Amino acid sequence: MTASHNLYFLSAIGAFFAVLMVVTGYYYLLARRSSQAGWEDILGKLTWFDRNVIEEVALDVADNTRDALAEDDDGLDPAALWKMIGGMKGLEILEQNSKVLIELACYLQRSHPEALPIAEQLRLDSRALQWHVDRLKGAAKTGNLEISFPFYAQRAVSTYYQMTRRVLALYEATNFTQLPKLHQAL
Amino acid sequence: MQLGGLDLFFWAAGLAGNIALLFVLLYRQLAHRFLFFTSLIALNVFRTLVLYCVLHLGTAEAYFESYWSLTLLDTALQLCIVYEIAVIVFRPAGTWAPDVRQRFLWLLFPSVAIALGLSWLATPPARFWQQAAVARGNLCAESLMSELFVLMMALSVSSGLPWRTHVARIAQGLGTYSLFSLMIQTGKSYFGVDRGAPMFLVLSHIRIASYLVCVTYWIVALWADEQQPIPMPEELRRSLFALQNKVAYDLQILRSRKK
Repeated sequence: MTASHNLYFLSAIGAFFAVLMVVTGYYYLLARRSSQAGWEDILGKLTWFDRNVIEEVALDVADNTRDALAEDDDGLDPAALWKMIGGMKGLEILEQNSKVLIELACYLQRSHPEALPIAEQLRLDSRALQWHVDRLKGAAKTGNLEISFPFYAQRAVSTYYQMTRRVLALYEATNFTQLPKLHQAL
Repeated sequence: MQLGGLDLFFWAAGLAGNIALLFVLLYRQLAHRFLFFTSLIALNVFRTLVLYCVLHLGTAEAYFESYWSLTLLDTALQLCIVYEIAVIVFRPAGTWAPDVRQRFLWLLFPSVAIALGLSWLATPPARFWQQAAVARGNLCAESLMSELFVLMMALSVSSGLPWRTHVARIAQGLGTYSLFSLMIQTGKSYFGVDRGAPMFLVLSHIRIASYLVCVTYWIVALWADEQQPIPMPEELRRSLFALQNKVAYDLQILRSRKK
């Protein structure tokens, strides 16, 4: 009885310890890899997304008071919004791109430590974007995606737009030589 | 309970190491920033002295009660340190990254359940029930601490939040020591927690030696200056403060084009 109990205990501890080690190793390598990437490599991770769409959706959400939205008869129709953004797939692209934007800010932070507050603000923005996308994924599971999409999707796109502006402002302020490339990519 | 020469050496070295670390924390003015960590080191100094006195002047029951109550306080402070580190790592701009706190709290429940499950599975051979209780309690605490540090690291990497130099050193030290202590506690739970058990003293000495390595690491790492971010140039600061207005202005232009 005791021998078999000890066997269970040792197996459980062994499995537990192995999981902890694997998780630690995985995230350690992930952090290390991202801190060693070159600028072109980081930029190459960006997935193309129509800049005009982002601007238009961000414009629509700029009138953020309910009254202003109610009066704005140019407000985006939910079906049109879905089509413009490309549904959940489009939002997932923005979610991935937001992580690349953080990496771009972190890259600059290596040589310009004063970029730290921007990188941190971008991280918060990225988390906000991810939060909106997560809410939509949750809504999709409960069959409420149609109702929730306009609200969360617009906010996600607006957050992404602000992130791109922050990154561009940061690179402009530091006179980065590859700035035109970045403008083109964003 | 009689202490051998090596026991006394480790006891004295532990006390000296903790006093030196406390001095570094106070002298380098890190105590206010790492309040719980400093409290833990102060508690370690206090505990070493109290337990030494109780061992020589008090009864076995008094020693058990002192040991157990101070261990509970130690575990509570370690959990507070996890919170302290989480606040520094996950509140980079003074606010919690949205839903990170919630995710962190949600991860806490399964972590506690796993730690309790592992300590329930353990059947440490012991002469007295108190010894078994202490061994299980220690195993539970070490499992929980190991899990929390690994989870915190995973969460910070997946959220894209970096660890600052000093906070990273404290977390690395405590996390590594917790993982090491978990192995030691597993060994004690398996081989027995009585001082007469063949592996007990060896494992105890290995644990204290690893703690001394950890304390030395903290002393060296915390004595060094933390890499301070260079103050933002005024031009960049102005440009970034104006960014929000610039975005609003751009939106107005876009709106006018649209209409």
